[in-house]
Amino acid sequence: MPVGEPAPVAVITGAASGIGAACARLLGEHGWRTAGLDLNESGTDLPARVDVTDRAGVAAAVDAAAARFGRIDLAVAAAGYYEEGIDVAEITTAQWDRMLAVILGGTVHTCAAVLPHMLARGQGAIVAISSELALAGSATDLHYVAAKGAVLGLVKSLAMEVAQTDIRVNAVAPGPTDTPLLAPDSLWRKPDYLATLPLGRLVTPEEIAHAVYYLATEGSMYCGEVLSPNAGAVI
Amino acid sequence: MPESPGLVALVTGAAQGLGHATALRLAADGHRVAVNDIADDGRLRELADRIGGAAVPGDIADPGAGPRLASAVAGRLGPVRILVANAAAMAMSPFLDAKPDDWWRQVDVNLTGHFRLIQAVIPGMRAAGHGRIVIIASGWGVIGHPNATAYAASKAGLIALTKGLGREVGPQGILANAIAPSYIDTEQLRVDASDAGISLDEMRQRYRDLVPVRRLASPDDIAAAVSFLAGPGSSAVVGQVLQPSGGVTRTRA
Repeated sequence: MPVGEPAPVAVITGAASGIGAACARLLGEHGWRTAGLDLNESGTDLPARVDVTDRAGVAAAVDAAAARFGRIDLAVAAAGYYEEGIDVAEITTAQWDRMLAVILGGTVHTCAAVLPHMLARGQGAIVAISSELALAGSATDLHYVAAKGAVLGLVKSLAMEVAQTDIRVNAVAPGPTDTPLLAPDSLWRKPDYLATLPLGRLVTPEEIAHAVYYLATEGSMYCGEVLSPNAGAVI
Repeated sequence: MPESPGLVALVTGAAQGLGHATALRLAADGHRVAVNDIADDGRLRELADRIGGAAVPGDIADPGAGPRLASAVAGRLGPVRILVANAAAMAMSPFLDAKPDDWWRQVDVNLTGHFRLIQAVIPGMRAAGHGRIVIIASGWGVIGHPNATAYAASKAGLIALTKGLGREVGPQGILANAIAPSYIDTEQLRVDASDAGISLDEMRQRYRDLVPVRRLASPDDIAAAVSFLAGPGSSAVVGQVLQPSGGVTRTRA
């Protein structure tokens, strides 16, 4: 960071745990100022308890971050949750709607809230957290996979829409990552599954944060990229 | 995650362009860098002196080059732990006019030369339980390009090699990944401009118009991608194809 430059500012959804929290920590270590949106209190410089399905609530929290810090350089859309082991015929309308509302709706609301601030300065970066499952498909969590796949469509289209500004929109598609979203008895934690991965282990939240940080700091030539730190789950 | 201590890196095709920028970046990251290019000219030695590394010239298409380069680097700096497979030959022509010699020259340098070099460096990486292989592929290897079938095929071959290698040696702590750039502002643009019979600035503008972000990648942009893939932050990235092309490929494939 050049001397005299104000520290860059990141808005992170899902900042209280898992990947979002790891992003907030890493950015903080690099001197960024962080605003965290989460249902729970996050350990960021400006925590806001917000449900990302609440468009007005997201906008208010983002505007508050911009007012407090003067700018928004990066948005990380990491808020999400996971349900597995559900046959497609058994996914209820309520489960489907909730999954789409949080993962896709939350990402849309985050993008919509930060874009005016980024457009005003003509620069910024948005990194949406998708999933390796959106690339490969998965048998027993179709609503999650569909929502994460929709995020990729959103990312590529928004990336194109703002391509001629210095705003970059990209996705990180983590492999199975060791976060609280993976239940202790999750299929993805089982030794038989991990043995199928070239790296033979879960991905750490920190490894996802490093990919986000790379896109945020040296990613000016990525437009609609899908960077997948996935331990070899999808190659 | 601890920062890697300085590792021994080898960059092929390092006399100019993105190979040159990559050697400088890896040296700035703290690595000890050996640089290769086909000609043993002043540029390579000047670069090696500047970064305190080693110059190991040679044509990687020469069947003996892989083992020779690997042992030359091992003798001067230590076994290669980061290989950047960047050297490339390119000859544009309509498919039916492509001369077999030109076809094979591109495949021999871009694909087979690096195949042999990778074979030669893997034992050292395996012994260390750690290695990074960064393949410079091409956006044309992802989406193809008219009049560049041999080049595109060689680069697509490198992408497939990356994926197979990632699966095969990933379990041994060796991470193979590729970067597929598209239009980069390097010396090659002068060649392209000359071929097209236009000025360098006209060539730049023509290429910029093809890039969704309306900017050509700089060699430093690609070197930054190499730095990420060679560094500690990419420890879960294996068999992937990074595409810092301003949207040329990710929005079309």
